[in-house]
Amino acid sequence: MSAPTRRVRRCAAFVALLAASSLPAQTHLIIVSGLGGERKYSDEFRALSQSLADAAVKRFAIAKTDVLWFGEDSASKQPYFSGQSTKANVERALTQLATKAGPGDQIVLVLIGHGSGDGENSKISIPGPDLSAADFARLLGQFRSQQLAFIDMTSASGDMLPIVSAPNRVVITATKSSFERNESHFAQFFIDALTKDVADTDKDGRISLLEAFTYATAETKRLYEADSRLQTEHAQLDDAGGKTGVAAPDGRTTGLLARRFFLDGGRVASLAGGASDPQLAGLYKEKFALEDQINQLRGKKSSMTEDAYDDALEALLVQLARKAKSIRELEGRKS
Amino acid sequence: MSRRDQLLATALECASLAAMAPLSAQDEAREALRTGKYQQAIALLQKVPASDSDWIAAQRDLARAYATIGKYDEAENTARRAAGTKDGVLLWNPLGEILMLRGKREAAESAFVRAERGPDSLMAALNVAVLHYDRGERDRAMKEFDRFIDVYNRTAGANLTSEELEAVATAVEYLGASDPQLFKDALKAYDRAIAEDPANDDAKVRLGELFLSKYNFEEAQKTFGDVLESNPSDPRALLGAARRLEADGQPGADSLLRAALAINPEYVDARTLHAEMLISLEDYAGAQLDIDRALKVNPNAEHTLAVAAGIKFLTHEQAGFETLRARALALDAHDAEFYATLADLAADVRLYRAAADFAKQGVTADAKDWRAWNLLGMNQLRLGQIDEGKKSLETSFTGDPYNVWVKNTLDLLDTYKNYAIVPSEHFRFMIEKDESPILSIYLKDLAEQAYATFSKKYGYVPPPPVRIEVYRSHADFSVRTVGLAGLGALGVSFGTTLAFDSPAAKDAGPFNWGSTVWHELAHTFTLGLTDNRVPRWLSEGLSVYEEHHAFTPGWGFNVSPGFLAAFKAGKLVPVSRMNDGFMHPAYPEQVQFSYYQASLVCELIARDYGEPAIVRMLHAYKDGMTTEQVFQRVLNTDIKAFDKKFDDYVRTRFASVLPSVTAHDTSTGRAASADALERDARAKPNDFGAQLLAGEALAERGDVDRAIPLLERARDIFPEYGGKDSPYALLAPLYEKKGDLRKQADALTKLTSLTETNLPALIELAMVQEKLGDLKAAADALDRAMYINPFDANLHKQLADISRGLGDRQRAIRERAAIVALGPVDKADALYQLAMAQHEAGEDAQARKSVLRALEDAPNYEKAQTLLLELYDARMKDSVRKTP
Repeated sequence: MSAPTRRVRRCAAFVALLAASSLPAQTHLIIVSGLGGERKYSDEFRALSQSLADAAVKRFAIAKTDVLWFGEDSASKQPYFSGQSTKANVERALTQLATKAGPGDQIVLVLIGHGSGDGENSKISIPGPDLSAADFARLLGQFRSQQLAFIDMTSASGDMLPIVSAPNRVVITATKSSFERNESHFAQFFIDALTKDVADTDKDGRISLLEAFTYATAETKRLYEADSRLQTEHAQLDDAGGKTGVAAPDGRTTGLLARRFFLDGGRVASLAGGASDPQLAGLYKEKFALEDQINQLRGKKSSMTEDAYDDALEALLVQLARKAKSIRELEGRKS
Repeated sequence: MSRRDQLLATALECASLAAMAPLSAQDEAREALRTGKYQQAIALLQKVPASDSDWIAAQRDLARAYATIGKYDEAENTARRAAGTKDGVLLWNPLGEILMLRGKREAAESAFVRAERGPDSLMAALNVAVLHYDRGERDRAMKEFDRFIDVYNRTAGANLTSEELEAVATAVEYLGASDPQLFKDALKAYDRAIAEDPANDDAKVRLGELFLSKYNFEEAQKTFGDVLESNPSDPRALLGAARRLEADGQPGADSLLRAALAINPEYVDARTLHAEMLISLEDYAGAQLDIDRALKVNPNAEHTLAVAAGIKFLTHEQAGFETLRARALALDAHDAEFYATLADLAADVRLYRAAADFAKQGVTADAKDWRAWNLLGMNQLRLGQIDEGKKSLETSFTGDPYNVWVKNTLDLLDTYKNYAIVPSEHFRFMIEKDESPILSIYLKDLAEQAYATFSKKYGYVPPPPVRIEVYRSHADFSVRTVGLAGLGALGVSFGTTLAFDSPAAKDAGPFNWGSTVWHELAHTFTLGLTDNRVPRWLSEGLSVYEEHHAFTPGWGFNVSPGFLAAFKAGKLVPVSRMNDGFMHPAYPEQVQFSYYQASLVCELIARDYGEPAIVRMLHAYKDGMTTEQVFQRVLNTDIKAFDKKFDDYVRTRFASVLPSVTAHDTSTGRAASADALERDARAKPNDFGAQLLAGEALAERGDVDRAIPLLERARDIFPEYGGKDSPYALLAPLYEKKGDLRKQADALTKLTSLTETNLPALIELAMVQEKLGDLKAAADALDRAMYINPFDANLHKQLADISRGLGDRQRAIRERAAIVALGPVDKADALYQLAMAQHEAGEDAQARKSVLRALEDAPNYEKAQTLLLELYDARMKDSVRKTP
């Protein structure tokens, strides 16, 4: 077993208790990879899709049956391949999922490929008729009681955002507008964030969509800087239903939903019933309460003196650290 | 070109076109005039008999031809003689303009008044208005100019000749000072004048000058070029084109000016510009000769008087200055341009405070002189008076919104809100907010170190604080420096205000920002110590000299085969004329060669007279001495003798390589086979280029053992060469192939001590030294790399780790702080690593802060929690222990 997998599993057990009071929920991942046009791009889209589907099952414990990948024919022999990425196939799969998914489930729709068009006619290039922003808005509208993430990592995807944006929905696009039509590198880094141990910036052992987005935008920028090129893609995120993307959500005033959106969320929720040790449960409860207090304190930072804030923060963090230590000891884990 | 000068040309042109029936001889003469064959035109026109019906027209052309080549007596006599005859009214306006060129204002005015009764009435009326304007009767003149709008509007210009349209355009251009929108109308009127008569070169020259005054160099050049295409000997167009090149910082202005003066040696405006160029070279005696000659032609030439006063000011002749000021202001008490010219001259030789003072007097004399406001604003900015400078520029821009220099600068000032101000003991740094955290870490230490070094060496302390502005865009830096994009430099020192490119300025290309700061700060001290009187060459030479003697090796321009080839070919200017190499380079590389050459002069002085002699020289300049006097007084040598001494110094210092050095164009040699090159190299064992080429070819072929001795021979012949194809650069990978890490390290060490921008070599050197176990050398190499690229987190991490291994806790902390400053995605870990470094250095209070910041973002970060508890528990324990 590789180190990353071991770590994620440990974390999955750790966060199981966090969601103990939540309703059981599942994550359903649908990957749509489009036409490559050239061998190079077909290979790239296939590799990215394969990598994401693999991680979904192996790192995030999503059931194999909940991972659907629609792609070019060239990918037909790959694991998780669910059929050609035609408009009909994708529409059918989403419609079926809308009837199957339970309330509170997470639906994650990921687009990988070449984009074109603008406004409502922004499209992903797929075999046969293309799927447009308007199509996706209609199809996602079927999911009324689920939490959605629409992640369009195609070039020229920026115009999708205002069309697909809605409350209780995370929308990510690789570009700011339909004018950014050059090859996008965002997808590679976004999938790296989900598949490698590189993006867990809050050190909670999990990768939120916000963390993946932040990592991917930073690495994309770095890539262009390293090559001394002008950056031709600027990813955006909206999770407030405001139809306006943000380039650098901070997780406090923007990106609040994305910060809490984890691909393993559904799986974790289903494990909630596993918490049986009352002492451990009590420690977790206290730990969560401390985390809440820390969050509240951070909200007051601007109204406090630096010293007063640090003293208050330290007091809470020390308690939290001791609590975490106790939990680790009870769980038989070493620091 | 002055307006008066232009007016002469206009009226003469007009007169020639107003001639009656064309004669073939006169047509021939006119064609000769139009194409610049002035002597031929004169010969033809002189032959026209007085009895000829076109004699009057011929006299107008003749007077024009004489005036164009500077034979003003002949021009005046010709015009006077003809004016006294029947139909002589056609000569009064030309006569008035010739008189104006001689400074005979009263006589000119009466000639213009007489001309107003004839066919030249509109041009004469314009000349009268200009005269009024020039003698300070602004309101009266503006009313007179305003009438030209009525003249035009009566028929929408339909019944006006090209010359009359040109007169309207000129009048409207004057009115533009009150209503800038009128510049557009002036432009249209010039265009119509040219459309009406495409051969009206005067209108084109004036249009070119209008573009030039609005810093639209491209259009100005096109317009002057158009004139010069049909008449390459038009002195006014040549002067305009020279001004364009000078204003645009392009080479070649002096040759155009020489051409103009060859045609008209008495051309007052050309003489005056030549004097201004000599002033920028700090050749005040030469400038005075030009000015004397110009004032002899026209003792009332206002701009020339201003330049004359400028020379007196710059040579500290206060009485002479006051006399000239009184003389200029007697002609026009509201002559703001007098002060603006003084401001310009002062700024040219870096006397920014004086420039601002003069410009302030200019705006006091005439609050509508937008050029004076512009100069005031620019010089206030150079003095670090940002708010005041902005206000002045806004005033200038309100009056003249076409000035791209001012517009660019105001646009730049609007971006200052995106910059952070970071203070240190002696400095205020203005750095773009995004990169302020990382740059200030290094910049503060570097600047303070330079301050300590230079204040001790030069015995001078600049008035605090020194302002350092760092621009992330080279275009912004360029605008800050010269108002326009495209400047070749990386840094500039205005004295106590410095500006330079950030290392992130990609449009600047790779460069060493540390050496740039060191260089520019050296200027702050040499300029300040001398009250800005140090000549450019010495200030630059000392700055490069200080780079060579900085705390780290490799900084500053160094010797190259190209430099030595130029020396051998006699293409370097002697020490006695070194400013020429900077201000008027004769070939593209000369400026760069001059920097290095000037540093060698300083090396020679320091070697033979000691470094304190340099400081004594600076004091002598402060006292107002010329370079000749300084060399005589301080070094006890004649400057010409020093020229010879320097020549000998270079010949001795580079004796091993000079005999074989060429311009180092090895492209031809590279076509030959490696074997042939090797044979050639063996046949010429003292030929640097032959050894280098053969070694390189053999190395490329993988023949390491045969390549090494040749490259080592090249190295021994020219040990100071650190260019990209230096023997050290070629030897290092060969030694690596041979597994000789020690030699590889030595080659890289030497290479990086001779060049300041070879980042890969420094990184490689660090790696090799680490392998050899010399952690200190590895850390030093990485340390130097930060002055080329401080944005690579991996380099900082590597240096932090090595520093930790060395027990250099402070450097480890600095490098960990640098990683945090780079804004990494994994900020919590970067902060934790910083906290650990601080904790290991015993700085637990700082460590607490850092770990709190880490946990603030990532409260469940286990390693950080552990450190927090350790710090907290230790503090509690300590507090209990201290409690009585």
